[in-house]
Amino acid sequence: MSDLKLQHLEKIYDNKVQAVFDFNLNVKNGELIVLVGPSGCGKSTTLRMVAGLEDISGGNLIIDGKDVTKMPPKDRDIAMVFQDYALYNHMTIYENMAFSLMLRKENKNEIHQKVLAAAEILGLTDQLNKKPDQLSGGQRQRVAMGRAIVRTPKVFLFDEPLSNLDAKLRGATRREILLLHKRLRATMLYVTHDQTEALTLADRIVCMSMGHVQQIGTPLELYDSPANLFVATFIGLPPMNLFDVTVQDGKLYCDSFSVDLSAEEKALLAKYDGKEIVLGIRPENIVQGGSITVSVFSNENLGQTTLVNGAVGKHKITCKFREWSNFKPGDSVNVSFTRKHFFDKETTEAISSN
Amino acid sequence: MINANNIALIKKDRLRFTKNKLSSGLALLAIVFNALYFVDVYRSDVGSYFYNWTIGASVLYNLIFMLAAFLSSEGVKNYKLGYSYVLMALGLGEIVRVFYIPLQARNTTDPTITTDALTELVAKNETVPTVMGDFQFYFCAGCLVAAGALCIIAGVVALIKTTTLIKYQAELEKNSRGSKS
Repeated sequence: MSDLKLQHLEKIYDNKVQAVFDFNLNVKNGELIVLVGPSGCGKSTTLRMVAGLEDISGGNLIIDGKDVTKMPPKDRDIAMVFQDYALYNHMTIYENMAFSLMLRKENKNEIHQKVLAAAEILGLTDQLNKKPDQLSGGQRQRVAMGRAIVRTPKVFLFDEPLSNLDAKLRGATRREILLLHKRLRATMLYVTHDQTEALTLADRIVCMSMGHVQQIGTPLELYDSPANLFVATFIGLPPMNLFDVTVQDGKLYCDSFSVDLSAEEKALLAKYDGKEIVLGIRPENIVQGGSITVSVFSNENLGQTTLVNGAVGKHKITCKFREWSNFKPGDSVNVSFTRKHFFDKETTEAISSN
Repeated sequence: MINANNIALIKKDRLRFTKNKLSSGLALLAIVFNALYFVDVYRSDVGSYFYNWTIGASVLYNLIFMLAAFLSSEGVKNYKLGYSYVLMALGLGEIVRVFYIPLQARNTTDPTITTDALTELVAKNETVPTVMGDFQFYFCAGCLVAAGALCIIAGVVALIKTTTLIKYQAELEKNSRGSKS
């Protein structure tokens, strides 16, 4: 396994459309990095550039200290797992997993041992004589992973591997990937648009939008200290509630409510006094009881939690209460905020003490 | 990892997951040689000379051989023991065929030659033309021998591999039953 460095990586297509702008990332040996972002943000393009499936328009790609920017894919020693598995349907699972090694003309006995070892890791030993169409989606994806594992590549690339699976299987396969990573301690780059996958799998997350890296950090950093409004609204489900507020005399004033600031928050927002900022409140940081009145639109009981959608003045708000509640449309509920996030209205960057 | 002690074991274990492509390929190659043989016979005057029930039987046998060899190639590919015996029998049949049309045709004087011409040739001590010339005989016999040999080799290889696999699977079964109890 190896270190991976993406230095000022850029992708400009022939029609001059730029898909990736100045992408910088150092992936440490054995790290699992998740690239997350909405469709069209450039995450798959970045992955394909690393794989060698897309030309790199600018910047350098370094694997294990070696510049592989211009190197053809076959020489990069990278294995990629695709969303649609890309298995050979006429071959058995054993043959699918052994195929890349056979092409390399490796010793057949060694191939056999590698395939059996990978099958053992992935729980596919009993399926080796079957054809892909006899397996479930999750098993097929495991075969695709097995095909990558047998090659013992320097870097594993996953391009939305769970997108074709149903919700239950996705959760199970996600846990398998996590276990696999812990077992192999392999360097992995994983692309997804599903933030749950990103938060549960990643050592570090790269959040992207419109070809730009918005923030790189651990899942907790992205959730707890989003760098800007995009990250704040993209990470977290339901998304963060946003309010345009004015900072004045140690308070935040919205059109229909005001919030007192703590001494720490006052210091943080000192230079914004008299200005408008964006207040971000995660739904789970809203509790019942307080001075802010929410007019309820809908009440969704999810078992452990209840999602209450409503409005505070002209702002829509989603609250996530831990207790089971039965509000009806038109009811009012008083709430307060336990944690606040502040963003500069002009730059959309987070206002933090750092 | 691989060492001298476990190579044999790995080879046996590989049989569980790989097909017997060698036997299958050899059987298909035998079909090709058989096809070369009958195309060569039927395109020549030999076919006209044997234009009776013999040629009918020959055509029928070729069809049966090709069907049986093809089915056997699929059978041995999947380690079906019975098909290895079928292949060996087909191989022997091909070799026996050398003594039928090719040899008979080679030992039979060309019927288009008149008695006078034949007497003259004998008098001059010249070679008497036969239904099948030397070159065609060697080609046809070669094709049949090749087809036969390939079938037999395919059958023997399949027999060895299949019995090895059956024994190995029985051993595994025994071990797994032993570990369960």
